[in-house]
Amino acid sequence: MKRFPFDILISLLLGLGLGLAYAWAISPLRVVDADPIALRTDFKDAYRSAIAASYAATGNLPRAEARLALLGDANSLDTLNSQAQRLIASGEFAQADLVVALAIALEDGTTLVAAPTSTTDNATIIVKESTATLPPPPPDLPFQFTETPQPIDTQVIETQAVINTATPRPTRTLIPTVGAPFALIAQDTVCDATLPDGLLQVLIFNSSRRQIAGARIIITWANGEEQFFTGLKPEIGNGYADYSMSPNTTYTVLLASGSDIASELTAPTCQTPSGETFLGGIKLTFQQP
Amino acid sequence: MIFCGVVEEQSTIHQIMKSSRIFFIIIALIAGISMGLAYGWLIDPVDFFDLTPDTLRADYKTDYVLMTAEAYRTEQDPGLAARRLAIFGSQSPSAIASQGLNYARANGFADSDIALIQELVTALQAWSGIQ
Repeated sequence: MKRFPFDILISLLLGLGLGLAYAWAISPLRVVDADPIALRTDFKDAYRSAIAASYAATGNLPRAEARLALLGDANSLDTLNSQAQRLIASGEFAQADLVVALAIALEDGTTLVAAPTSTTDNATIIVKESTATLPPPPPDLPFQFTETPQPIDTQVIETQAVINTATPRPTRTLIPTVGAPFALIAQDTVCDATLPDGLLQVLIFNSSRRQIAGARIIITWANGEEQFFTGLKPEIGNGYADYSMSPNTTYTVLLASGSDIASELTAPTCQTPSGETFLGGIKLTFQQP
Repeated sequence: MIFCGVVEEQSTIHQIMKSSRIFFIIIALIAGISMGLAYGWLIDPVDFFDLTPDTLRADYKTDYVLMTAEAYRTEQDPGLAARRLAIFGSQSPSAIASQGLNYARANGFADSDIALIQELVTALQAWSGIQ
């Protein structure tokens, strides 16, 4: 009877083990040509911040969306909101504003419109969309860059009597239109003894009735001013923020990104069913029209 | 004599078998190592995550430089642009931007984008001189 060649099998397995150890541990393939999706979380944050800064400068939302898609976030909006909160928590308010602006634009689908500076007279009307362009994609780039690769200047020219024959060149000046100013849609007195005394609650919604995190709220009173932000209490709501008002002080509240002004805000005096008085609160609700 | 001849022949056969077995063991070892390397490098290489930006593909790096350039056009803050580019590691910001510019030129980026990156490179070179 022929004996099973265990020694050869063991050699094979030993070789396999050695090969795998070398390939996986001793000399793994060197990482080059990585995709942004493989970046470490903090670098992804930096990448997102750069996208937001670029969007703020160019107003090119499709390009910003294509770039965000590279990071492979399950929900870019939520990720941007979370990042805005982290930036606020670390005191980087300017960066947070940019990230929030991009989040709002994504939510609303806002595009920034190039302001045409025509050198022709009124007889020629030029409508020009964003002039910014995408970099040419590499051949194997599996994302949306490839779908909008080259500059596309959509010009609709209604020609009546063109007096100036020179080709009008719209400028690159882009005017960010993050959205209309927020409207104060509700101001309610809250008499709830379970809440802290003098609690000013602020809720901020966008035009789609979704709460907005990272919105900066400015509160002023006779001899002072403070800022606070939505999104720091996500358990209550991404667009929720609160502030503790002092008794007998009149406050004014507005959003840093532009809003109606809620003025003459004073903590009301409320009464419990048993007749005890306590300092009530105020609830303000802002929404983008 | 006949007995001695048989013993010698058996000994020779045994030696041949033994050496061929060693040969097969070595072959099996080499085959195993080859299979391990092929599996570890080609079929299922190590999954990489938590990478640093210096490992990004050149076009992604250049796009990041372009984003920085676009933001710089509005912000006009070379220090901030340099901080944004610092994620690529130890190279100077102007060198990183220059590499992006070279890639953009070589790969047919739009003229407006090349101009933006050029502006950033110039600003960073001037800024580096001041630092």
